[in-house]
Amino acid sequence: MMTMNQLERKLQKADQKQSFLYLFCNFVSLLLITAYAAMMFSPTVLRILPEGGDSRKQVTMIFALALFGCVVFTVYASGLFFRKKSRQLGTLMALGASRKRLAPGLFCEVLILSSCSSLLGIAAGFPFVFLLWNGFRLFIVDSTEMRLQLDFRCLFLSAVFFTLVVAFSCLTAYRYLQRTNIIDVVHEEHKNEPVKEPGRWCGPVGICLIFAGAVCGYEAPAVYMGLFSAYPTELVNIFYAPVFVGLYMVMLHTVVHGWTQNRKHPYKNIISRSMMKFQGKQTVNNLLVSTVLIAGSVFAIFYIPMMGVGQMLDIHARPFDYCYHYRMDQTALQQADIEKLADAHGLSIKDFRQSPYLILGMDAIVRKEDGRHFHEEHVDLAEGVKVLSESGFYALTGERILIHSGEYRIVSTSTESDIYHYTNTGTFLTNMVTRETIPAKFAGYAHYDFLAGPPGYYLVNDADYAEIARGLTPDWLGTIAFFNINGKDSYAFAQDFFHTLLSCFGPECESAYYYDRVVKIAAEEAGEIYWGDTDDMSQISFDNPDASDFRLYWAYMPKIRILDQNDFLQSFAVYLMMFLFISIICTLAALIISYTRCMTITLNNRYVFDDLRRLGAPPAFLLHEVKSQAGTVFRMPCIVGMTAMYLLYAMLMFGNDGQLTMGELSGLGVCLVILFMMAGIFYAVYRITVRKMCGELGI
Amino acid sequence: MLFIKNLHKSYRSGNKSYSVLKGIDLSVAGQEFVAVMGPSGSGKSTLLNCISCYIPFEEGTISLGGQTLKGLNEDALARVRNEKLGFVFQDFMLLDGLTVRENILVPRIIRDKVEPEAERLADELLSLFGIAQIAGKYPAEISGGERQRTAVARSLINQPLMILADEPTGNLDSKSSRTVIEAFESARRQLGATIFMVTHDSFAASFCDRVILLKDGTVYDALARNTAGNESRGLFQDRLLAAIKQMSTIEGGTEEP
Repeated sequence: MMTMNQLERKLQKADQKQSFLYLFCNFVSLLLITAYAAMMFSPTVLRILPEGGDSRKQVTMIFALALFGCVVFTVYASGLFFRKKSRQLGTLMALGASRKRLAPGLFCEVLILSSCSSLLGIAAGFPFVFLLWNGFRLFIVDSTEMRLQLDFRCLFLSAVFFTLVVAFSCLTAYRYLQRTNIIDVVHEEHKNEPVKEPGRWCGPVGICLIFAGAVCGYEAPAVYMGLFSAYPTELVNIFYAPVFVGLYMVMLHTVVHGWTQNRKHPYKNIISRSMMKFQGKQTVNNLLVSTVLIAGSVFAIFYIPMMGVGQMLDIHARPFDYCYHYRMDQTALQQADIEKLADAHGLSIKDFRQSPYLILGMDAIVRKEDGRHFHEEHVDLAEGVKVLSESGFYALTGERILIHSGEYRIVSTSTESDIYHYTNTGTFLTNMVTRETIPAKFAGYAHYDFLAGPPGYYLVNDADYAEIARGLTPDWLGTIAFFNINGKDSYAFAQDFFHTLLSCFGPECESAYYYDRVVKIAAEEAGEIYWGDTDDMSQISFDNPDASDFRLYWAYMPKIRILDQNDFLQSFAVYLMMFLFISIICTLAALIISYTRCMTITLNNRYVFDDLRRLGAPPAFLLHEVKSQAGTVFRMPCIVGMTAMYLLYAMLMFGNDGQLTMGELSGLGVCLVILFMMAGIFYAVYRITVRKMCGELGI
Repeated sequence: MLFIKNLHKSYRSGNKSYSVLKGIDLSVAGQEFVAVMGPSGSGKSTLLNCISCYIPFEEGTISLGGQTLKGLNEDALARVRNEKLGFVFQDFMLLDGLTVRENILVPRIIRDKVEPEAERLADELLSLFGIAQIAGKYPAEISGGERQRTAVARSLINQPLMILADEPTGNLDSKSSRTVIEAFESARRQLGATIFMVTHDSFAASFCDRVILLKDGTVYDALARNTAGNESRGLFQDRLLAAIKQMSTIEGGTEEP
């Protein structure tokens, strides 16, 4: 004797397969959200990503994207679940079950499924992040900074998402029950959502809009600043809007017309195309979301090679193994000390070169800010610069350079890719002790990659150098030295050298390179507080010399080839980890969305495939129709998302300095390899999906 | 049994309203086997959906076993569907997770818990329609004809006043169609069922006592089989086809034999 409850339980048991996808999507969503939140809010990560810094903004932005992805695939999974469920509900309603009779069973099932899968996802989130993090430490890179600490307040985000998932599931169940037209409920599975058919111009215009939007969005802030002498608000990003309109048009064109016209067999794809057209609205939306997620994933994963390859090449190309500099008021290591230290490690040094330099004040036209608005004005003590003489430059580099009296040159890279760091509007240099000045007019760049980089070195001729140096106290004088190791260098020696050098510096040198003593003096003389003495300045500490912040920003950080090569991954481990994680989340979300879309296509078009079979279509023909649709769902977002992001990165790299350097080109090359690997993953999932679709359709 | 008077139904699409049923009047007596035929868009399915209480109608009266359907609330309509009507659909609408026997019992389960008497009836129906040997199988494991006979058995489990069948042979080959129509015949003969069937199939319609022809939302003609004069099924089908042809030639209607 069967009751309604027993009937519902039996039907639920029979629906296990469709419930599994729903459970899986909820589980994965909550797992990813919890794991990401755990990482985002872990003290380990917060310590490394500076507050208000670009990297934290990027991570937060991509987190929002990942969150969006998770919401989307949860919604789609729930949609798919209810679509299959609707036939069952409709049949029971048609046979006389009232909504009141069906409601308890349905809500109970939905509540149990959504809450159990979500809770399991939350619970699995922490082991997942623990495994991923420690796997990363074990197989890729480990550093003292990477000891994972978790702050369980991150569960707040998971709780919000959990509530959303459960509430949305109940709301969808309610919506299905509230439908008054039983015929609609019965036929929900075959519901068509055709799109209006645009002309063939749609796709090409879409591509133009994508490019136009990218250029407009990129240039808009600069144009705004030029026109209004003010920093733009976030609203300026609206100029990127054509990109999204263009993307929509491209996807619409893909679904309605496709991009290839088979002149020999114009009807070859007519069936698959019409099937996609009749599910057009959802398909276009899916393609769009997948594209955005793939673009997000690519953006995140590109961060690693673009940051790494250039740096590794630069390090490799250095002409000296070691470069260090110090203020003359510090008891820093001398050549004899280094030789002794090297000897203790069984090494010897060669090519030792050194030169004194001055720290002088320089005038410049600087940008003064007043809220969002700014204006440019000439300031006498605009910044402190390190100045080498012509002969000092020769002593270090072996390159002679001619500088006329009253002129200065700036050391830049051979491609001049770093010139935006330097001041070329100066007209005189100031001795900060005597306040004597000499005229100094910019006369171009001198090229030597090893000395380039912020804050940079400025060159004057020997006579000017001697004149302006008169009366400077040791704290305004410095020495820079290069040397090589005879034979193979040792990491132990490099560590020893770094820590010994560090111990030579007093607390007056415990500052970042952008802490400018000249600007501080000028501010104090004007009765103002120097911003570097406020909380705005991020602090570095001698207590933590292995922190990435310290290695990146310490004013006297030496360049040590073997140390930089070995520590590169460690210094950036957390960044790498975060961006890799984001990429995994976005890729997973895109894959699941594409998979669910293909399964929806299968469900909706099952009867079309049955009809085709009745009309005598062989399995090969049906397989072609399946592949044609699944191929579009997987291929288009990959092509558009990956290409757009690749071009965007190339544009950003080019936009920095108007050229692509060797390091950037190499980085883009590695990115290309990564794209092929990602495409391989998508292809593998596509193959699995096609197999599943064929299984569902009995092909 | 069934009385329909001045039935109007229209659909809205945007700002436009399309009238589908324009004042239908018809009646069906107890134990009668009636078919409704007509070209696409003539309103056959809409008429069936109105009687089934699936969709509301604007004007007119539908009375089933003396009960007027207009104005009933959701629960009352569901009760009518469950207790007074039995349904047979073109695409069977069996529940995949239940066996043939359990599918037959579904309307009874919805109404109440299944008593031994209902189980006995289910077994009788299984035997009557020749599907007893597949009682434990699932819909995916049986043929189209067997599925539809299961649906016919299901429609009878609550001993309804009337069976409503929507293109019951539409998805079947001719052999299976015949077994399904024979199942309807048996239901009427042995259980006294009243059957109201919408169909495009003149062969299936030729088994009926009466065929109502719909055109543009109105009753165009009604043909009764002359059983007193021993009109054969074949002759009745010929007469039916002639009437359909005549209907389609007047004002250029679409012929659908």
